[in-house]
Amino acid sequence: MTPLLTEAFLSALLYGAVSAGVPLLLAGLGEQVSEKAGVLNIGLEGMMLCGAYAGFVAAWSSGSFALGFVAGAAAGLLVAAVMVLLCVRLALDQIVVGIALTLGAQGLTALLHHFQFARSYPRLPAATTWPLPWLSDLPVLGPALFDRHPVVYGAFLAVGLLILLQRRTRLDLQLRAAGERPEALDIAGVDVRLVRSLAVAVTGALAGLGGAFLANLGAGLFVPFLTNGAGFVAIVLAMLARGRPLWVLLGAMLFGASLALTTAIQVAGINIPTDIVQMLPFAAVMLVLVLLGRRASLPAALGRPYVRGSG
Amino acid sequence: MPIRHRVVALAVLGCALVTSAAPRAAELRAIAILTPEQSTDFGWNQQGVTAARAVAAERGLELLVAEGLGYGDVRPTMRELVADGAGLLIAHASGYNTAAPEIAAETGVPVAIVDAPEALRPGLVADYTLSGHEGAYLAGRLAAKLTRTGTVGIVVSGEPPSWNSQSIAFAQGVRAERGDVTIRYAVIGPAAYSDAAGGKRVTESIIAAGADIVFGQGDGSTFGMLQAVETTRAVDGGDVLFIDVIGDKSSIDKGHLLSSVVWDMTPVYRAMLDDLGAGRFGTRNYQISLADGSVSLLRTPQIPDAVWEEVMALRDEIIAGRIVVVPEFDAKAVRPFVSEVTSP
Repeated sequence: MTPLLTEAFLSALLYGAVSAGVPLLLAGLGEQVSEKAGVLNIGLEGMMLCGAYAGFVAAWSSGSFALGFVAGAAAGLLVAAVMVLLCVRLALDQIVVGIALTLGAQGLTALLHHFQFARSYPRLPAATTWPLPWLSDLPVLGPALFDRHPVVYGAFLAVGLLILLQRRTRLDLQLRAAGERPEALDIAGVDVRLVRSLAVAVTGALAGLGGAFLANLGAGLFVPFLTNGAGFVAIVLAMLARGRPLWVLLGAMLFGASLALTTAIQVAGINIPTDIVQMLPFAAVMLVLVLLGRRASLPAALGRPYVRGSG
Repeated sequence: MPIRHRVVALAVLGCALVTSAAPRAAELRAIAILTPEQSTDFGWNQQGVTAARAVAAERGLELLVAEGLGYGDVRPTMRELVADGAGLLIAHASGYNTAAPEIAAETGVPVAIVDAPEALRPGLVADYTLSGHEGAYLAGRLAAKLTRTGTVGIVVSGEPPSWNSQSIAFAQGVRAERGDVTIRYAVIGPAAYSDAAGGKRVTESIIAAGADIVFGQGDGSTFGMLQAVETTRAVDGGDVLFIDVIGDKSSIDKGHLLSSVVWDMTPVYRAMLDDLGAGRFGTRNYQISLADGSVSLLRTPQIPDAVWEEVMALRDEIIAGRIVVVPEFDAKAVRPFVSEVTSP
């Protein structure tokens, strides 16, 4: 029998865990910004899906992964603009609009794929990585963590950037006020709708980037419904993390690691029913984040459209 | 009324009811097929529509295709198809198993469903739970003959009955050919049919665990598996090869497609129409097999001639009944079978 616990196998598991976690991290961070400002973005799945499609088309047609990621973020931003118009500007129901955006994105991207790629199913070549000196030579960890595409490093840096914004700028205070007491923010002379619009725009760009990562690096191709519910998992992560970017990182990586563990259990031939094995990622993330975050609370005005004078 | 007259009246009434419930082939002008995804997936949906198209053309019938319907409520679409004249609805997804029999009862138009062998209703509901287990067995024999590393992998995006039986048959084939070959088995996720990223991730892990030949069963996720074998080297530094199911991906292959267990549903749909014409629709299940050509193993340039001839000789043995591959559909049976299977 071939030995299982080889360096190559462990490294592949860890590599897969990070690859599965990064799209959730990007989308979850975006959702957190939006929720902090009081906008519940159920359309995250649709933003990711549009980002995945646009990101793949741009990378495939230009041969540039960088352009693919820019296009993915732009597509997410475009869907977010619709959300801004309908939910922030016209004050429509955020849940209804979010679901409609996701369904619309699913239909649109499936249709476009059908006409463009359904008979050829093009696939991208492996992306060029940026190995970090010394670190990339580490056994197991090196290839999995330190020999990756720049977007992976960027996703981790985004966590630090958001923490910095939280601690060092007034922007975070304004975001929180827009989510907790929008009328107070309005009285203080800050445009609540502008703050919320910017928050949703950031969400769209990050979700689109996450989708593009999923298509270009995660799968290397685009198929209809590629995101397979990743947007909804990211929403759960953001809600359970309750305003803490580091917890989104923890949740996303835990989810990825649990996915890798489910693969490891199966490949090792351990005879546990598949249904139970497949529950592991969801159960692990919910258990950890619920236990750690039970004292935190969601923004008071989450999901409530703000109309000046209506409160 | 004398008892004799009552019997005659009841018989006439019964005949009338049967006739109205099950349209005869002579009255049939159109048939319809409903698929959850587009019919360009090089797999389940494409093979279903292609077969329905072939049978409709053969019998001079109009074919109504409703594709890309997803797994939501298809009742309105079914009613529309009935209103458009469909005399048989082929509900080509296990997710339609609840709606289709209801529509059959409501409209009297017969339906064919999958993965529900016990749901037969004479004149109204037939089942075609298909399995290419005989072909999967041959694929296992082929994989065991060609593996360099002594490890082969099975990756599935879910555990529906058809794939369970094919996973087990593949393992049986591997074991029958070479008892020392290691089999690694992994499910991508719960119903991860379109999870191409998951397909790639899990296949990469299977390859890192030593597999140089991967037997993959999925819909959209299969393309992720294919991407993984194209971009990942085996542990011995050589190429990884892929064995697909249901469809033929030769036209999009980049040199890594070893074979495919191809399903042709034409004989199944043809038999349904025959049964409809003979008034026995809904009285039996339909299957595919090597014997009638509805299951076959795809030949690609990756298979050496001598190996192909050996595999075809095994195929003849199965058709002659000297090798019997019994389908096992239960998901619980797969894992023990994959690790402890004995050859038939």
